[in-house]
Amino acid sequence: MTLIHVPRPDVKKAMNPDRPVNALLKAQVQHLHDAERNLPLRHRTDIYINAIKTEGEAAEYIRKVTTAIQEAHEAAAAKRRREIAITAAADEGPREKKGSASGAKKKTIVKRARKT
Amino acid sequence: MPPGLDNLRHIVVLMMENRSFDHMLGSLTAVDLRIDGITDQLSNPDTTGAIVKPQPLAQFQGQLDPDPDHHFPAVDLQIFGGDTSPNRGPNMQGFVKSYFNQQEDVGQSQKIMYYFAQNQLPVLTTLALEFAVFNRWFASIPGPTICNRAFAHYGTSFGRVDMNVLYVNEPFQSIYSRLINANPKHTAKLYYYDTTSSTMEVANLLQNEPELFGTYDQFLDDCSKSNLPDYCFIEPNYNDHDSDSGEEVANDQHPDHNVQAGELFIASVYKALKTSPLWPNTALLVVYDEHGGIYDHVIPPACTPDQFTASANDTGTGQPFAFDRLGVRVPAILISPWIPRGTVVDGRVFDHASIPATVTKFFLGDYSPRSPRETNADVFIEPNGAAVDPARNLLSLTAMRNDCPDFDV
Repeated sequence: MTLIHVPRPDVKKAMNPDRPVNALLKAQVQHLHDAERNLPLRHRTDIYINAIKTEGEAAEYIRKVTTAIQEAHEAAAAKRRREIAITAAADEGPREKKGSASGAKKKTIVKRARKT
Repeated sequence: MPPGLDNLRHIVVLMMENRSFDHMLGSLTAVDLRIDGITDQLSNPDTTGAIVKPQPLAQFQGQLDPDPDHHFPAVDLQIFGGDTSPNRGPNMQGFVKSYFNQQEDVGQSQKIMYYFAQNQLPVLTTLALEFAVFNRWFASIPGPTICNRAFAHYGTSFGRVDMNVLYVNEPFQSIYSRLINANPKHTAKLYYYDTTSSTMEVANLLQNEPELFGTYDQFLDDCSKSNLPDYCFIEPNYNDHDSDSGEEVANDQHPDHNVQAGELFIASVYKALKTSPLWPNTALLVVYDEHGGIYDHVIPPACTPDQFTASANDTGTGQPFAFDRLGVRVPAILISPWIPRGTVVDGRVFDHASIPATVTKFFLGDYSPRSPRETNADVFIEPNGAAVDPARNLLSLTAMRNDCPDFDV
């Protein structure tokens, strides 16, 4: 087996967050801006993307919106879980009091809720 | 079934940014004549009429600034040399002219012909010589990143030749959706470098299926814990930024990002797989999304048209485009311990539609609907369970190699 040396870049020279944003990052920012419009208001960044001129500014925006998209999905999933739990708890109550006569119907409701 | 295919459980694709085959691997012709790279016969005219030959003078950073134009009209000029007549033919004579258009600087325009010497790129050139290098892997479109990357995810760009938001039209599902919705279910993931770099697949997958995504740290963890999905796609770091672990230099190799940082990243992906218990069961494809406006000498071939057409207005050339010609050639290397050292894949044509084509056929078998481009794309790994043609099978060794190289990363 051969061990091959990989030269490291000089990070201080290579790193330049003030570099003007390239076409690819501009497109990525635009795509995230478009995605951001679909987010609930509380997850939006309120950043004016036309003012993003450098790679560092683009990176900051990309981080915020990517995080916001993930948080919005997590919040929606958590809400869904809560609703399912509430439905299940509501079903549990009457069944304990009245027996299992309508149990099959209630189980169907829970199942449907999980599918959503 | 050949043991390499029999053992294969995971396909990993790493897609880098914006470098042509000749620019990165052209030097290897001097080492192995079967590799179709740089020779003395190649040149482009500059705008003074002088002949400019490729030279091994490429630098890691600071040389291709401004970023060479690689949007559709510029690539049209690069491929056709500026001929816009109805019966024109491709000649790869317009690279210097195209770069000149950006600054009108003759000296700067000639740098588009520069390529890296072998010893400058120890990772990429070693992998190319040690495993399977493709002589004819082309970008899917003579255009920029987003539409080319779409071919890797969907087998089509749905008629787009630009960087605009790409909304997926049913019925062509992404390769990830196909896998996770299959019966039996398969696993798939897109690993982006970190949240600050994120993904180029924002409009559809990140918005609608964020559970498909992981970070590069998770990829490393999944490798070490033998938890890799059946198929995964890795995106490099697209921007310079600070993180909790310090300064993160962009490693996508997009001009004018540092090429050595990309070399380190490729070596890191390779090492994570090679030191994983899953190494015998994994194939890694390292490929570039498009050529980034940088010189390559191989004429992109015509191909099966897609079912979409970009309008003359969208292409910016005055002519519509039926997706019936591939983009400029890019580096592509398939890595597995079951591939013989020094494999050169020649006489077959691949593009990024080959990625979903290969993954679909390997894990799912017959699947439809898929785009005409994907349906007609060649596969780089033979389908699982099918009668295997030995002449096409790249994972052809009967015993696993134990002489694969290591990198000190």
